[in-house]
This record gives sequence, structure tokens and C-alpha cells, in this order.
Amino acid sequence: MSTKESERISSAQQTLDILHEISQLLNTRLDKETLATCVGMIESGVNPEALAAVIQELWRENALLTSVPR
Amino acid sequence: MSSALHSLVLSIIPASRTAEDLKEDIVSHCQEILNRGHEADLSQVVDLVKRRLLATSPNGSSALKFSNLLSRLLNQPVLSRKPETIMFLYSLASSPAAQPSAILLPLLTSPPYQKTPVIQQVFNDASKGGMVTVKSKATLLRDYRSEKSHSHLPESVLLRDALYLLQGISGKFVRFSLTKEEENRILFVEDAKWHIPASTQALIHRLAELGYLYSRIERFVQEREGANGVGTIEQSLCHHLHQQLTQYYRLIAMLETQISKAPQVSDDSGMSHDGGRDNSGLSLRRLDVWVNEWRLRMRMMSVCVEGARDTHGGALVNLIHSYTDNGDPFVRMFTDKLLEEVSRPFFATLHKWLFSGELYDPFSEFFVAVDANMGTTSRVHPSSLLGGVNQISGDGGFTGIGSDDDFSGLRENGVKLWEAKYRFRKEMLPMFVGESFGRKIFSTGKSLNFIRYSCHDSDWVLTREKMSNTGGLLQYNDIGGLERSIDTAYRIASHRLFEVFVEKFRLLDHLSALKNYLLLGHGDFADQLMETLGPSLARPANTLYRHNLTATLESAIRSSNAHKDPVDVLRRLDARMLEYSHGEIGWDVFTLEYKVDAPIDTVLDADAMEKYLKLFKHLWQMRRIDKALDQSWMRIIGGARAFLRVPDLEPKWHKTRLVVAEMIHFIRQVEAYCRLEVIECSWKGLIDFLNKKEGDLDALIEAHRLYLDRVTKKVLLWNSKPGKEDIVLFQVKEIFLVILQFREAADNFYNYCLSESSRRDQDMDADRGVYTGNPQVRNQPQDALPGLLSRLNEYGSTYSDRVQFLVQHLQVHPDLDCRFLGIRLSFSEFYKSKKDQNLHQQRS
Repeated sequence: MSTKESERISSAQQTLDILHEISQLLNTRLDKETLATCVGMIESGVNPEALAAVIQELWRENALLTSVPR
Repeated sequence: MSSALHSLVLSIIPASRTAEDLKEDIVSHCQEILNRGHEADLSQVVDLVKRRLLATSPNGSSALKFSNLLSRLLNQPVLSRKPETIMFLYSLASSPAAQPSAILLPLLTSPPYQKTPVIQQVFNDASKGGMVTVKSKATLLRDYRSEKSHSHLPESVLLRDALYLLQGISGKFVRFSLTKEEENRILFVEDAKWHIPASTQALIHRLAELGYLYSRIERFVQEREGANGVGTIEQSLCHHLHQQLTQYYRLIAMLETQISKAPQVSDDSGMSHDGGRDNSGLSLRRLDVWVNEWRLRMRMMSVCVEGARDTHGGALVNLIHSYTDNGDPFVRMFTDKLLEEVSRPFFATLHKWLFSGELYDPFSEFFVAVDANMGTTSRVHPSSLLGGVNQISGDGGFTGIGSDDDFSGLRENGVKLWEAKYRFRKEMLPMFVGESFGRKIFSTGKSLNFIRYSCHDSDWVLTREKMSNTGGLLQYNDIGGLERSIDTAYRIASHRLFEVFVEKFRLLDHLSALKNYLLLGHGDFADQLMETLGPSLARPANTLYRHNLTATLESAIRSSNAHKDPVDVLRRLDARMLEYSHGEIGWDVFTLEYKVDAPIDTVLDADAMEKYLKLFKHLWQMRRIDKALDQSWMRIIGGARAFLRVPDLEPKWHKTRLVVAEMIHFIRQVEAYCRLEVIECSWKGLIDFLNKKEGDLDALIEAHRLYLDRVTKKVLLWNSKPGKEDIVLFQVKEIFLVILQFREAADNFYNYCLSESSRRDQDMDADRGVYTGNPQVRNQPQDALPGLLSRLNEYGSTYSDRVQFLVQHLQVHPDLDCRFLGIRLSFSEFYKSKKDQNLHQQRS
């Protein structure tokens, strides 16, 4: 049971690694953590393009917030 | 799901961790975006990604890496929505770069620039508001100009004009000069109100170059399209130019869309130098950048066009080819491409010529030119040849060449047909083929053509099939393959030609027949002929009749081994008399003849036959001398010893025998030399060549010519020194003459001795009292004796003088074989010692 579990975890890890590599290839500026979250969301049925739009929106928002003097 | 979104928001926007309402706001906003419908197809997405990767790094390494990663990902069992994931990554990846505007031209997308965040913009605007009062120097200048109403022409207007200029059309403010002498100049229309700055003028000048080149090329294309008799290569060039021009139009159209987008912006802002101008707009400088590549292309095309005016066909290909050796990769690629297009008709012609021996070149562009006056032109379809019917009604039996009555006049001279029908034009040969290959191509096509039209070889179709198997497509960019196919084609064609000549037309039979009959290789035949003909040839030439000769020839053939030769060979053998003048006897005018017709006469041409006849004459005379001496020897050895009983004349006979022996030695040596050292040796060389089956018909002709030349020169003891060519031959002929005279004198002497001995017999009979004849005749011959003897002596000494002279000449002969003949003749230094003795005697 536990071996199966660990197997699953390692394969998930591998998948994430691959995705991260692709993401670097495509120069998406996503870190591993964010990527994992996003992949989880997509797995649960979120529209990928919309999610991408969300991420961009968030980046933009962040940029705005950081540039505004607090 | 929503928690995931929360964490996402938190991780990306750290600020939201503190402000709850902001976070809620953002989350709900994001939720909204996410709720839009979606679907994704893996292959489509993958395709998109790959294209994007290729666009960013054209060498394809990243795309390869991507495929690698993708296949690994697909093996992973964890994810259920892989396409979506990829899609997500892709959408993220493509977003940061500036969205390409609707323009199709990739070049027109403005370079990535730092997008100023919206907020910053706002601040800039705010700060601007504070500094309105400070004017830049440029603004001041502009204001001054507008006050003076002497401002610069707006660039947008000039831009429109520039677009016109690119197409060779005059614009409103800038126009091409209309006067003839300064065709290439452009003029700026200026009025009081507008002024075009010098820098802009220079820019426009640069742009206008394209317009000028364009109109030149266009004019050329149109001229050629309208004109008649334009070569196929030029047509192809025109086509390519046309294509290029179409692409150029496309560029202009795109620029036009750019320009139509731009005006609103620039019009609103008034002057083109306003900082707030949209980046997607067009300016003269950008125009210059975008048409830069085209400028080079246009220049190349214009050069080609210029060249095409005075060159033609292959030379044009050559001209273009001369630009392919360029260090500039752009020029090289462009010309390579152009050449590939342009050379296509050339290769089509080449293909026809190389593989079917057919020259289809209506505009004489190929590097092989046909002489239309010679024989069948290649455009005649083979099935329309008249050969078929005439063959049957003609003499039959023989393989049926030379039956084309139309060409029989020309056919007589096959070698001329072969040599002059097609000409090699070096100036038309494309350089990328190379001269040696050009020659091979030339010879291959010529051979094929010859096989088809002059040899009527029906099997040539097979040959062609064989060749087209090896050939394949000929193309400019595959020079290696081209050379290979040329080589194979050349080999096959010349091999076939050899086959045709040797097997179908039995060239070898003819050659050996010539050797056996004309060069007297068949000894039994020659002896037989001499024996039967001899008596009649001694008569005056005008009493000889040709039918008698031919009948004798026939019987000579029958009674010798010659009748085993093929009928075709014997049929060609003929006896004939040369033109004779008064006083000549049969020996002088008789000759054997061997008739050849097309296409064998390509090898055995008229010159060669003449040489054969000359050789025959010489050898025939030699034979005659030989025979005569044989008879004479028989007489003086056998007859004189057996029943001439004149003891007081015995020393004279001994002397005569010596001279005759000398003569026999001479003639034997000369004959042996001719036969063994000259004819057979040369023959062996020729046969070796034929067995090799290499080279083309030219080589064959050359080999035969070499053979014949060698034989002629050596048999006739030809001296290579100018002015002395015939000197040795002349001596030999004189010696022959002396021998004949001597033989006559010897015969007379013999007759005298015969009658003398019979007289003595009678005397003795009378002494014994037996009456055996009329004694009255005895006085007459006795008076003739001194004359006979003196002539005999005279001829004998002349002979030895002549031979000595000849030997002397032969010893310094430039030809080694001839010198060797001299050594053979005076092997024991017989003649030399005599001469030395003479010298000694004279001195003492």
C-alpha cells in the first residue's frame, strides 16, 4: 500500500518536473509551486486559457500594486 | 477549486495577504474569467506550441526538446488533462510578447519594446502637465517654420508618394523625370508652402532606386512577353522575374495597409515627429528598412535583365551562373534559385539530346547547333523516313542503308555528315557543366542521333530505355547526379554505336576485307589474280575492258580461299581501270576497288579509300616485280643450266644470276617489311582498340585514320621532312622500273642464248651430217649480242647504284622502321662496303 503511494508521489513529482521544464522552455515565468497549483486547478476542470488570463491578470495587478507607493 | 484560486492569488500577489477585500475582489474577478467555456485538443495545442518554439528559435532544438518532454509527459499517469495543461502553459508563454497586429508581414511587427505600465503612463501625463512651459528646440524651430508658412511636408504625404515611387509611378510631390536623357532622375515638386528637407530627399532618392529598377524589369518582362522568337530560357527568366515582381506587389500591398492605418494617428497629431505616434505606423525610414532586401533582389534582377539583352540561351545561363560564386549568401541564394528556374528549359533540351539524341532547340539556345543543310534534320519523325519501301525495291540483301534517295548525295559522305551536322558551340555551354562534360554530352547526343538517323538502328529504343533508367531528372542543383548520368549515357551511347558498327554493319569484316584484298593480305588471291590478269595487263590500257577485268576478278576469287568470305564483302570488291593516257599499259591503270556506303563510310571515308587505292597500287606493283623476278629466276637457274650450252657466255650468266639474286633479296626484304612490320603491326593496334570498345565514333574514326596513316606512311616510305616526302618512294619506283627493264634484257639475252645454242646444235648436227634446220638465220642474232650484254650490264649497274642510293637515304630516314628497312637491305653492309670501295678507288 505504502509502496503504491510512494510510487504515485514520485510519478507526480516527475510529471511536475516535466511540466516545469516545458514551462521554462516556453518562458512562462512560473515557479514550481504556482505551476503545481495551476495544474491542480486544470485537473479539476478549469479552462486553461482562462486560467492563463487569470495569471496574467494577477501579474498585472501585482505589478500595479508594487509600483504604487504604499 | 476556489481554495486553489485563493492560494494562487496569494502566491502571485503578496499584497493581497493583508487586504482581505482586495483579495476577495480579485478572486471573484478571476472566477469570472475562469467560468468561460473551454475545450482543448492535444494535437492542435502541440502544434501551436511547436510553431511558437520554432518562431523563437528557428534551429528547432527547443521544439525537439519540447517533443521529448511531451512524450515523457504523456507517459505519466498522474494528469488527466494534459492538453489543457499544455494549453495553459502555451497561453502564458505567448502572452508576454506584444500581440502581433493583424498585419501578415512578420517583418512589420514592431520590435519588442518595453511596455510602460499603465500606471506609469498616468504619472508621466501628470508630470507633463507640470512642464508644458518648457519647449524643446525642435518645437521652437517648427513653430518658427509654421509662422513663416514654410514648413516641412508631412511625412505621411511623402510616404504615399514613396509607395508610388516604389512602383515606378510618379507621385504628387515626387516625380520621375520625364525627359529622356535623365530618365533615372527624380524631381521634387516644391512650392512656396511646403519644403522637403534634404535628409528626406536623400531617403526618397534611395527608395526611388527601387522604383527605377522595378520599371526596368517590368519593361523587360513585358517586352519579352509580347515579342516573338524569344528563347525558352529567356521565357523562363521572364516567368521567374514575373513571380518575383508579384511578391514585390505583395510587399507593397502590405505597406499600403500599414500606411492606411497610420494616417489617422499622424493626421490627428499633426506632425509626424510627435512622440505619441503609434508604433505600427510607417515612416520613410521604416520603409527603407523593409524594402532593403528587395533593393538587393531588384539589383540582381536588373543585372540579369541587362545581360539578357545581348546574350542568348546558354550564354545567359552562363551569365547568371557567374553570379553564383558570390561570397554574399543572399546574392548566392538568389542567383541559385534564379538559375534553377532559368536552366530548366536548358535541362529539358539537354535531357532530350542526351537520352534520345534529338535536338529540339527552336531558338538555338543549346550548345549544340545543327546544320540544317546536312542530312536529316532531327525534327523529322523517324517513322516518316522513306527507307522502308525503298529498301525492298532496292538492291536487297544488304542491310538497307543508303536507300534514302533524298539524301544519297549527302550520304555519300558519311563522315562529313557525322562531323559537320552538329556543331559544338562553346560560348553557349553553361559553365557549371564544364567543357569536358559538354564534349561528352555533345558526343553522346551525336552518337544517338547517328544511330537513329544514319544507321536506322531500330533497337535504339532499347538503348534509350536503358539510358532513361539510369538518367532520371536533370537539374541544376544536382550537378553530381548530372555528371553521373552524363557519364552513363555517354558510355551506353558509345557502346551502342560500337555495337551497331561492329555487329550490324560488320565494320570488322570490311576492315579485314580491305586489308586482305586491297593490301594484298590474301596471298593466294593476289597470285591468282596476277597470274590470270598478267598477260592482259601487259597490253596497252585502251585495249582493256572492264568486263574482262571483273570476270577475271571473279575467277580469281573463285579459285582462291577468298570465296569463303561473306557475300556482302565480295559484292563490294570490284576491278576497275583508272583514267589512262596515251601509252600506258594495263599495269599502270589497273586497280582493285572496294565500295563502301553509309554509314560505314563514316569510318571509311573517301580520303581513306584513296589512301587504300594508293597503297594497293604500290603493293600490287611490288607483287608484280616479285612475280617477274620469280619467273626470271626460274629461267636463268633452271632453263639456262639445263639446255643453254653456250660455254663462252657462262660468265655472263653467272653475273646475271648474281644481279637477279640481289634483286630478289631486295624485293623480298621490302615486301616482308611492308607486310610484317607495317601492316600487321598497325592492324594489331586497330584490333586492340576495337576490342576495347571504348570511346565514341570520333575515337573510332581517329583510330582507323591512325592505322591507315601509319600504314601509308611506312609502306610508301614517306619522309616527314618538308619537300622530301616522296623522295624515297620515287627511288623505290625507279628501282622497280630498272628491275623490269633488267628482266626484259635478261629475257632477251635468254632468247638469244636459246637461239644461239640451237644454232650451235644445228652446227654440230651439220658436222655430224644431220640436217635439222635452216642454217641461214644464224647471222642475225650474233650482231645483237654486244647490245644485249651492254644493256644487261647497264641495267645491272644502274640497279646497284640505285639501291645503294636508296639504302643511304633509308639510313638517315627519320622513321625508325624505315631506317630498319635500310639495315635489313644491307644487312652485311654489302652496299656500304661497295660504296666505300668506290670511294677508295676514286681516291687512289
